[in-house]
Amino acid sequence: MRFSGNGLYIEEYVKCANCGVLIYQVDLANAVQVADGGLFCSQWCIDWAQARDKRRGSQTEGP
Amino acid sequence: MDPVMMKILDSTMVSVCREMGITLMQTSYSTIFNEALDFTCAIANRDGDMVACAEFCPAQIGGMPLMAKSVVKEIPLSDIDEGDVILHNDPYRGGLHTPEHTFFKPIFIAGEIHGFAVSIGHIAEVGGMVPGGFCGEATEIFHEGLRIPPVKIVRQGVHNDDVWRLLLANVRTPRYNYGDLRALISAVDLGERRMQDIYAKYGADLVDQTCGDLMDYSERRMRAEISEIPDGIYGFEDVVEDDGIEDRQYKIAVEVHKTGDDIVADFTGSAKQAKGPINATLGVTLSATYNALLHMTDPSIPKNSGCFRPIRVVAPAGTVVNVDFPAPEVGGNTETHPRIAGTVIGALSDVMPHLAMAAEGCTHGNFVFGGVHADTKEFFACYDIEVVGWGGRSFADGNDACDSINGNCRVTPVEVFEARYPWRVEDWEFDEDSASAGEFRGGVGYTKTLTCLNDEIVISQMTDRHKTEPWGLKGGLPGGKGATLFMRSGSTEWLTASQAYNKTSPSKYSNIAIRKGDRVRLVMPAGGGYGNPEERDGSAVADDVAEGYVSAEAARKTYGR
Repeated sequence: MRFSGNGLYIEEYVKCANCGVLIYQVDLANAVQVADGGLFCSQWCIDWAQARDKRRGSQTEGP
Repeated sequence: MDPVMMKILDSTMVSVCREMGITLMQTSYSTIFNEALDFTCAIANRDGDMVACAEFCPAQIGGMPLMAKSVVKEIPLSDIDEGDVILHNDPYRGGLHTPEHTFFKPIFIAGEIHGFAVSIGHIAEVGGMVPGGFCGEATEIFHEGLRIPPVKIVRQGVHNDDVWRLLLANVRTPRYNYGDLRALISAVDLGERRMQDIYAKYGADLVDQTCGDLMDYSERRMRAEISEIPDGIYGFEDVVEDDGIEDRQYKIAVEVHKTGDDIVADFTGSAKQAKGPINATLGVTLSATYNALLHMTDPSIPKNSGCFRPIRVVAPAGTVVNVDFPAPEVGGNTETHPRIAGTVIGALSDVMPHLAMAAEGCTHGNFVFGGVHADTKEFFACYDIEVVGWGGRSFADGNDACDSINGNCRVTPVEVFEARYPWRVEDWEFDEDSASAGEFRGGVGYTKTLTCLNDEIVISQMTDRHKTEPWGLKGGLPGGKGATLFMRSGSTEWLTASQAYNKTSPSKYSNIAIRKGDRVRLVMPAGGGYGNPEERDGSAVADDVAEGYVSAEAARKTYGR
């Protein structure tokens, strides 16, 4: 989650590309950016998303 | 670990949380607190982990830890002083929905923070498009009232009047809001004092160590329960019938992955977020998943963050289970939460049939209204909770007229309702034949009819199950649907909001002006049945007929008795 320089408002809500948890600035050190630009909160989420996509094929979104 | 000390401390802290809740109930101004009990109270450690809570509102119990974590991330412990009280309701920073106001008061021992007393409650009026905070036609978070990031409303024991003025200038009922917010603060004041007494009695090291042991114990208990479930992947789907803006359904889909003593609930495949206010925040989806699993495991497991550790939730951003800013979200915490919990229960129903329940009504009615009272000339606003039939289970019928799975709230008694608001309750009765058939039938729904006594009352609603029925399990039939009907003064015809006021949805609408003599009828859905109706015990059918839950004709037709 990116705050403005003065800290008074939020400029961007940053969420994990898998589990959807908010990634605060203090958590960025533990987050993992992957090649296609997706940001994950942990290696577990990368592994989970890859396994799910492999299992489901390309069907990852609802209507 | 000292199990005796752990049990003593757990019971003591739960009692503190209950006492906080009773204080809140007794000092609040609005019926949503002093009658409906739409709040909960908890103790958190310095990291924001919940170590104890009172058994008031389940939605808030499961959602509180994420809010506490967001507070300690946004306000470092080094910036928190003794006597501070932090207020937070922001759904986009760990919150549940805009009405849910949460107060955190640090517990200082010898100059150091050891934890927080926490109170969380549903404030009935929060500004925004409609009186009562539930705008069924909202399309932005800004329509839903005032959003409050973590701010200090009390600094070192001194109330921050600038924050108070800002809050109270943005709501329709400032006197009531002030009373209710002060009641929430009185709860954390009490929690702080009681916890300081506990620390003084046992010593800080022992209390902190035992709180850690207690969470580890809850985790072990939950893991032991999960271990009993066969490994596998279990899926289930349900829908929210519409979002108040577009006439289409929104899918909630879950895959529950059980491996060893871990569970992952993956909601990938759920619908993209809606334009209207049915979206759930991540806090709601976490809470709903925990809620489902707490309903299906040993109720004696101490309720703290430890029992949530074995449960992971995957809720993709931008969907109805994890809404992205700035979409509306107020109904996510009331209507979508029970859908999410229901899908988790449904997913596990094949492998835990003895602990599963068919669908309950899955709505709180969320009938909100406001106006200027003809007698007092003061603006009033009310968030009215209505309750539903619960689903049948493998061993019992569903509960009749009971608040949906995430609420545990009470309906305001007629006498109080009529004294506080300019309505007359014409009737309020169980609906015969609303309960779905099954070996164990669903709980019955009911009908309540109100007549407007004011020159005008502006009403809005954010409910569901008017078009889709609560599902049955194991051959049980679906439960009866709900409805909201209107009869204008002088008319004899009951019409839906779509028919009478040209609203897209009959269950989600905003700002309908009701005049003196007009009537509103609330029909609350029943629960789904469990098991084949032909297997129902004959004496149970006879009892239902005698009690008026089932008509003689329906008993013959459905059960052949």
